[in-house]
Amino acid sequence: MKTINQIIREKPWMGWVIFFSSLIATFFLGLLASSIMERRAESIAVRNLPGKIEPFEGRWEAWGKYFPKEYESYLHTSDTSFRTQYGGNATRDMLAEEPELVILWAGYPFSKDYKQGRGHFYAVEDVLKSLRTGAPMNHGDGPMPGTCWTCKSPDVLKQMNKLGIEGFYGKKLSSFLSEIKNPIGCADCHDPATMQLQITRPALLEAMAAMGKDVNSVTHQEMRTLVCAQCHVEYYFKGEKKYLVFPWSKGFSVDSIEKYYDEIAFSDWTHPLSKTPMLKAQHPDYELYTMGIHAQRGLSCADCHMPYVSEGGTKYTSHHIVSPLYHINKTCQVCHRESEEELRRNVYERQEKIARERHRLASLLVKAHYEAKAAWEKGATEKEMQPVLQLIRHAQWRWDFAAASHGAAFHAPLEVMRIISTCIDRVQDARLLLAKILASRGVTDVAIPDISTKEKAQQAIGLDMAKLHQEKAAFLKKIGM
Amino acid sequence: MIRWLIKHLFPRSEWLFIAILLSGIFVGFAMYAFYLSRAWSYASDKPETCINCHVMSTEYLTWLHSSHARQVCNDCHVPHENVFKKYFFKAKDGLRHATIFTLRTEPQAIIMKPEGQKAVMDNCLRCHAPLFAYVQRVSTENAFASRACWNCHRDTPHGRVKSLSATEKVMVPLPGSAVPSWLKRLMQK
Repeated sequence: MKTINQIIREKPWMGWVIFFSSLIATFFLGLLASSIMERRAESIAVRNLPGKIEPFEGRWEAWGKYFPKEYESYLHTSDTSFRTQYGGNATRDMLAEEPELVILWAGYPFSKDYKQGRGHFYAVEDVLKSLRTGAPMNHGDGPMPGTCWTCKSPDVLKQMNKLGIEGFYGKKLSSFLSEIKNPIGCADCHDPATMQLQITRPALLEAMAAMGKDVNSVTHQEMRTLVCAQCHVEYYFKGEKKYLVFPWSKGFSVDSIEKYYDEIAFSDWTHPLSKTPMLKAQHPDYELYTMGIHAQRGLSCADCHMPYVSEGGTKYTSHHIVSPLYHINKTCQVCHRESEEELRRNVYERQEKIARERHRLASLLVKAHYEAKAAWEKGATEKEMQPVLQLIRHAQWRWDFAAASHGAAFHAPLEVMRIISTCIDRVQDARLLLAKILASRGVTDVAIPDISTKEKAQQAIGLDMAKLHQEKAAFLKKIGM
Repeated sequence: MIRWLIKHLFPRSEWLFIAILLSGIFVGFAMYAFYLSRAWSYASDKPETCINCHVMSTEYLTWLHSSHARQVCNDCHVPHENVFKKYFFKAKDGLRHATIFTLRTEPQAIIMKPEGQKAVMDNCLRCHAPLFAYVQRVSTENAFASRACWNCHRDTPHGRVKSLSATEKVMVPLPGSAVPSWLKRLMQK
């Protein structure tokens, strides 16, 4: 029997065999030790959250007890006292501020009621209180589909998981009055276990897939925008099933989306004055934001609307989602060294110039609708009117795209001005054609009723506002609001 | 010479086995430490490297939310004159950090050492040189002889509140999928 030493002396490679086997053994022993250490670290990390947030937890306070600062700041979305020149979180009656809107949306629920959106805190309350959603007195009644709830509450996730995506959309707004209670909250953007940002609404995922983008390959900074883009976008309800779709497969621009709608011959409603098949722009905030300089320089929504704040000795992301003008020092001035007054003036200058042009456009569109109405009354033919209606459809779509995104005048002023200029073209072309049609029938002037106030405008299009308010009050009383 | 080394440094034959075994264990644990400390990541410029341990989490988060978020840590915190100087600095600084971390002597608020300050100041100049030329011209003395940029620009880029406990619930870098599993299942249907 030889000793190991003798073996190694005779065959030196045996020494290497022993060396490498002991090396490998040590290395794997170490791996095991490290995995044990990692597991221990995990258990400590879990202990940081003294309890568990259940999947589909919609109540703010259930999350808030582990994240008190974020929760407390999020509660501030209930504030309605901040008013800027064109926005803020104070309620503004847009129809009263610009009665022309009533005429532009005649025959569509927006002519009844259109207010500046309040904070996330009011999402559920306001969708029920708006005159636009009517008064569905019984469970499952009314014209508004379940889809309307999609962006209003984290309770939607649970219902969607239960009923399936189509199953959820296919119900009615009034089907979920007792299931959907919590306004837009933590679960809409965060994973309950890791707090990671998540996309919880299928429409954005489907739209990104249609554009060939993978949501799992985007950076954290992009996620800080994409969670907002789940809702703050242009959308439509597709088909009888009212399936929520973002019309992005041709691109983000007003032109691409217009082409998308034209190709599928989609219209939201037919205008009762001009008989135009109309498009309603929703709130293309994300689309227009991406065309502005701040997006091009890599900023996210949260950078300005949810700034990083310090309180005592700690720092956190403010969840008081609000106009950046609310605290310029925490938003603009993180990058820009100008004074607060100067920065506010810079914002207002862009908004003011655009608001002026947009308002001018709205009154041109009102004229176009009444002139088209007069042309029909004088016996204009379908063939004559077809190009006119197409121009009005496109013009108002473009105007609406620029108007419905409240932040766009600052987010992407250049693009918004471009949209407005293409819109002026179209509405004036329509009015030229109308002038010819009317002149050939001996009409030179078209009278436009008095629409100087919201009430007069609503009267002019034959809305019985007293009845609508009465029905709404009865509905709200029934559901205890 | 080599023969002499082999004769005197290597163990006598009766100790050979135990020597090989011990050196195997030693090298194995060295590799384990290399693996556990993610040592290879220190060759990169990724900001995530700086939060391999939790001590710099506050610095990481404050930077992530700052006007300099498009620059990475190393853009400012290591010299850029040449590649040798850069890696020498990284190695030296890294070893110091590793020692402090191992001995658990990290301070509550991290403040740069003079060498680190010089590196950062040089890097301020590297990008903002035209601005400096202006400041030099309008100042009555050598503006940078006794002051650093951050003596006035105190919030840039980490803000003023930056102790170890300044950021609670740090969950960076972020793991996993951006789509919850229940929604993936629904969408596959």
